[in-house]
Amino acid sequence: MTANLVSTVEATGAPTEPDLDVVRSRWKDMPTKFWIGTGIVGVYALIAVFAYWLAPYDPVEPDVVNRLASPSWSHLIGTDELGRDVLSRLLVATRIDLTVGFLGAFFPMVVGTALGAMAGYFGKWVDVLIMRVADIVQAFPAYILIIALVFAFGQGAGTILIAFTITVWVVYARLIRDEILRVRGLDYVQAARAAGVPSWRIIGRHILPNTISQTVVYFTTDVLYAILAIASFSFIGLGIPLPAPEWGSMIEGGQEFLRDNWWLTVAPGVALSILGLGFMLIGDGLDDRLSE
Amino acid sequence: MGRYAFVVKRLLLIVPLLMVIVLLVFLLLKVTPGDPARLVAGLRASDEDVAEVRQELGLEDPVIVQYGNYLGGVVQGDFGYSYRSRQPVIDVIGARAAPSLWLAMGGLLVALAISLPLGIWAAVRRDAWVDQAVRWLSLFGVTMPAFWVGLMLIMLVALPTGWFPTGGFGDSATEHLHHMVLPALTLGISLSPIQIRSLRSSTIKVLESDYVQVGRSIGVDGLPLIRKFVIRNTISATITLLAIETSFLLFSMVIIESTFNIPGLGQGMVHAASQRDFPAIQGYTLLFALIVVGVYLIADIVNALIDPRVEISA
Repeated sequence: MTANLVSTVEATGAPTEPDLDVVRSRWKDMPTKFWIGTGIVGVYALIAVFAYWLAPYDPVEPDVVNRLASPSWSHLIGTDELGRDVLSRLLVATRIDLTVGFLGAFFPMVVGTALGAMAGYFGKWVDVLIMRVADIVQAFPAYILIIALVFAFGQGAGTILIAFTITVWVVYARLIRDEILRVRGLDYVQAARAAGVPSWRIIGRHILPNTISQTVVYFTTDVLYAILAIASFSFIGLGIPLPAPEWGSMIEGGQEFLRDNWWLTVAPGVALSILGLGFMLIGDGLDDRLSE
Repeated sequence: MGRYAFVVKRLLLIVPLLMVIVLLVFLLLKVTPGDPARLVAGLRASDEDVAEVRQELGLEDPVIVQYGNYLGGVVQGDFGYSYRSRQPVIDVIGARAAPSLWLAMGGLLVALAISLPLGIWAAVRRDAWVDQAVRWLSLFGVTMPAFWVGLMLIMLVALPTGWFPTGGFGDSATEHLHHMVLPALTLGISLSPIQIRSLRSSTIKVLESDYVQVGRSIGVDGLPLIRKFVIRNTISATITLLAIETSFLLFSMVIIESTFNIPGLGQGMVHAASQRDFPAIQGYTLLFALIVVGVYLIADIVNALIDPRVEISA
């Protein structure tokens, strides 16, 4: 009997499963910039997957005879101070920057959304506890805290991901909590609750799908910030350890040769900015669509 | 709650927050692997010497006593001694404050000079080509890392013209100013995009409000309208935004000081991290956290005092 009632409520009460036509028109009405952004990120993702296959040379092995070569047909963007092919390093770096950047936004999103959903749904002391911790984390300048954490746990992608998760979850928690407070009192949630649907199911099936849109918009721009942060940390020598190719550390390596071999510095910056633009366009496009 | 009661309460709430922050900074360095005593004594020191140093540094005391000592010191402005230079951390930090202040002030000025006119202009000419151009500009601005912008300025401006130094801080006030032009420009450019976007949307909100419509209907228009009706009402939003951006500002400073080799706080923190100087890292982390807490506090109070509409519910 109860099970029956639950399924009835879920079938009728919740606008969580929009019919296919609505979904289709949602995709069709996405602004052009959303699709341009998706195209850019898609190309980078393909490059990341096939990086080693696309790269004409070994990205790490030094070739001192050919050091600091100018762009030519054999080395399209020249070689760096150790004679490594810059194009090969750029391509392989895409793999590292895109993966770490994506995960650097993904982990905080999962942790923050889970904690924020708990705070918003259960309220009372759960809310107070989670939000007090959030206040304290937010009082720290996130990036400065990351430097301290890198200092404590050592350099590397793992540390950076842990540090991002510890500091950035707060934003996602606040976003989802505020949305849940708004939705919690709405009729269909009350109905589900009255019907005895378990809390985790109400959160997962009825609340999150209706509150997640802001989070998705924030996530796409957050990937950009994560990539920028990784490049910046590598630039100051606290990010991805050498000799792994990474855009930030490539820029750092080229800095010394800015006058005569400017492409060493310009190329990784351009690669990073175009990818960043892709994520910004996706985020902007989604945002425009949602605020209509 | 009255506005002054709010201010007092806000001030009192800071105390427990500060104690937790000090505790976290302290614990963070406690869980860090590696033996500080070994670092201080040097690699060739005998085990007895290391033990002696450990005793001297108070590392043999129970953790709670160490925390008490550290907190007691911090309250009196004593952050311990740098393991590298053997100077008090507070002096090491103090010596690096001036360049960072110059950079921060310069960067904020540039950011305001860029974002205030562009943000408001874009809002007034909403959806016209100006607006489109400004929005694309700020979109590109966000995607460029600050250190890369700095290097591009060196490459495109400093190297060909020779007008500006490519790094350092100089010795006199005029030299400081000369050295800070490109770094401040870099910082301003990296702060602007977010400010432009937020100024644009808050200005649009103000322009749509009833009293601006009334202002228009009594014949106030153009620049006077912007000056008297719009700017004043976006100040509160701008202050809040600047406060929220403090964390990003500090990080940009760290990066830009490294790019232009400026002997400021950010470069000091990076050096301390690469030299594994525990007390110095603690000092810098604490200092930056205090700055953020302080700026939030000031922003809240200023907003509560200048704008009677600010909701006071704490």
